[in-house]
Amino acid sequence: MTSVAAFYYDGNSSERHALLLTPMHDGLELQGDQLARQVPFSAMRIAAKLGSSPRLIYFADGGHCEVTDHAAFERVLHEAGFDAHSLVAHFEGSWRYALAALLLCIACGLATIRWGLPWAAQLAAERIPYSTAHSIDVQAMRAFDQGLLQPSKLPTARRQLLQHRFETLVNESGLPQFPLQFRDSKPIGANAFALPGGTVVVTDDLVQLAGDDNNSDDEVIAVLAHELGHVKERHALRQLLQSSVVALAMTWYVGDISNLLAAAPTLLLQANYSREFETRADRYAVKMMRVEGIPVDRLADMFRKLESAHRTEPRQSSFGELFASHPATEKRIQDLYHNHADD
Amino acid sequence: MQNQQQRFSFTGTGSEYFRIWIVNLLLTIVTFGIYSAWAKVKRIQYFYRNTWFNGSSFDYHGSPHAILKGRIIAVVLFGIYNVTVKVAPLMGLAIFALILAVMPLLVLKSFQFRLHNTSYRGLRFSFVGTLKAAYVNFILYPALAVVSLTLLSPLAQQRIKRYQHGNSRFGQTSFSFNAGVGGFFKIYFLTVLMTIVAILVVAAGVGFLVTHQSTMPAGNNPQQIMKFVAAAYLVLILLMFFVAPYVVSRTQNLVWNNTYLGPHRFVSALQARKLFWIFLSNIVGIILTLGLFKPFADIRLLRYHVDSMALQTEGDMETFVAEQSQEVSAVGTEVANIFDFDIDF
Repeated sequence: MTSVAAFYYDGNSSERHALLLTPMHDGLELQGDQLARQVPFSAMRIAAKLGSSPRLIYFADGGHCEVTDHAAFERVLHEAGFDAHSLVAHFEGSWRYALAALLLCIACGLATIRWGLPWAAQLAAERIPYSTAHSIDVQAMRAFDQGLLQPSKLPTARRQLLQHRFETLVNESGLPQFPLQFRDSKPIGANAFALPGGTVVVTDDLVQLAGDDNNSDDEVIAVLAHELGHVKERHALRQLLQSSVVALAMTWYVGDISNLLAAAPTLLLQANYSREFETRADRYAVKMMRVEGIPVDRLADMFRKLESAHRTEPRQSSFGELFASHPATEKRIQDLYHNHADD
Repeated sequence: MQNQQQRFSFTGTGSEYFRIWIVNLLLTIVTFGIYSAWAKVKRIQYFYRNTWFNGSSFDYHGSPHAILKGRIIAVVLFGIYNVTVKVAPLMGLAIFALILAVMPLLVLKSFQFRLHNTSYRGLRFSFVGTLKAAYVNFILYPALAVVSLTLLSPLAQQRIKRYQHGNSRFGQTSFSFNAGVGGFFKIYFLTVLMTIVAILVVAAGVGFLVTHQSTMPAGNNPQQIMKFVAAAYLVLILLMFFVAPYVVSRTQNLVWNNTYLGPHRFVSALQARKLFWIFLSNIVGIILTLGLFKPFADIRLLRYHVDSMALQTEGDMETFVAEQSQEVSAVGTEVANIFDFDIDF
């Protein structure tokens, strides 16, 4: 007859009773030296299997049984017609399911990085006012000015003119006013970029690339409008937060961005905007250009000029700039007109 | 009268626990953390049921619902604090003070919950410490430690351990604790000494580096800062790997070698050297496997702790173990209801 050895404790004393468990109809029979009982399944709770730790049966009267022979216990339960199957315990006992769980955990982790992190970064970025984020800009500009960027060599008149038009553009966009930063830089060439707090930097090479004709100022402004699109949607800040997960958690947690400051310049240098961010900034630029009465052609021309400039003179530094992650300039230009027609 | 030592032993294995851990981790993720309460119960049950003494294992009866409730309370409290600190910093401070003020109560509750839900041979453990003593031990002494710039922290530590171990019961038998503060002070001062030595070693190293690269401009140079950050990390690692095993083993031994259950004394024989290797290999394993070694590491550490424990009995062990009885308590079920939540610390 099927049976399994067990220890019984009555719940009132620590005395241990050795006994045998045998199956009966819809219950178990306990047979020991000083004990003989028949207990229906309705008056007991059988704990789910947990690894190879002892199986436990808790009785309604406070006593319990401890069984170490898992296989024999399963046979007894089976014979008594008890379905002790636990799905989770089944998963926990199998390497195949453990491996599947591991892969799913990794998938969840990757999904968090792909979707959760950008979402959290956006939420956190929206909580940070421009005035606060501007301290990142100050820090970053200080670091950039130590070698990467040189003072601008453009004529003052040209700068003043562009500065004035930029201010008008910022006013139209409803963003806080921070002066346009002119810089000269060999390593990054013809470029413009926006910092998290709303500071926009434009290089001498970019202004010179636009040329000296009637359209050239419009072309520069078109590029700046694109950069303001990044500012408006907090792309730089979101990117910065995403690339520093720990800092993001801290920002989320304490609402304090001071710990971001130290790491910001390095992280900003490495940041490449996603295609989506660029498209959104392009759309914003087109919208602003319409307000300013600048034809879309100006931005399209600039894209072509920038592309050929960067093709002949490859970039030395990967930069969170205008031309970091767009292989298909023509496609992008087509989208400019497409979006324009849509509006 | 014969004296005998009965050892504790641990039968859990890393590979078995890994499977439980990973399945429960996944369930926790897909339920957005809710399942973590069930996972916690299973984790403790796996540890307890694989801990053996005199042929019987321990068991844990904590209800996942109670743990979930405790976690929700903790999250809500924390959320309220976080929001108020933003809106009205002064109010946030008041709430922080309030949380600090109820902290001893929460600690007491969690001690009660943990012990009440722990059983051996069908008998429950319990905790009989008073709320007043909890305030003295968890507010007054730690405050003294802070005011004295940690000089009195060994005293605070001894008081907390005395409160914890001296107020525990198994069935009707009381635990007692008779370690004085002297032993704690000794560990503390030796730790401080070892820390100073570690810092001196690192400082000498950094000094050597700086003098041999004197061309570098001092001040706000990022590279300079990076060096000091690296130096600080080195100190931390040194502390962790050399000082931590020492502190953990000596403190554990001091506490348990002075803990009694009735007339029987516990014996703990942890060795700093062995603990050092476990810490080091665990960290290396966790880093190399990107965290997957964690469950194995937990089991290895726990096994060493359990296997180093024994109970030194006055008289016959079997008689003692078999002669205990459950506390006859009318408030038993009521207690279970009141303490029906658990907060993690």
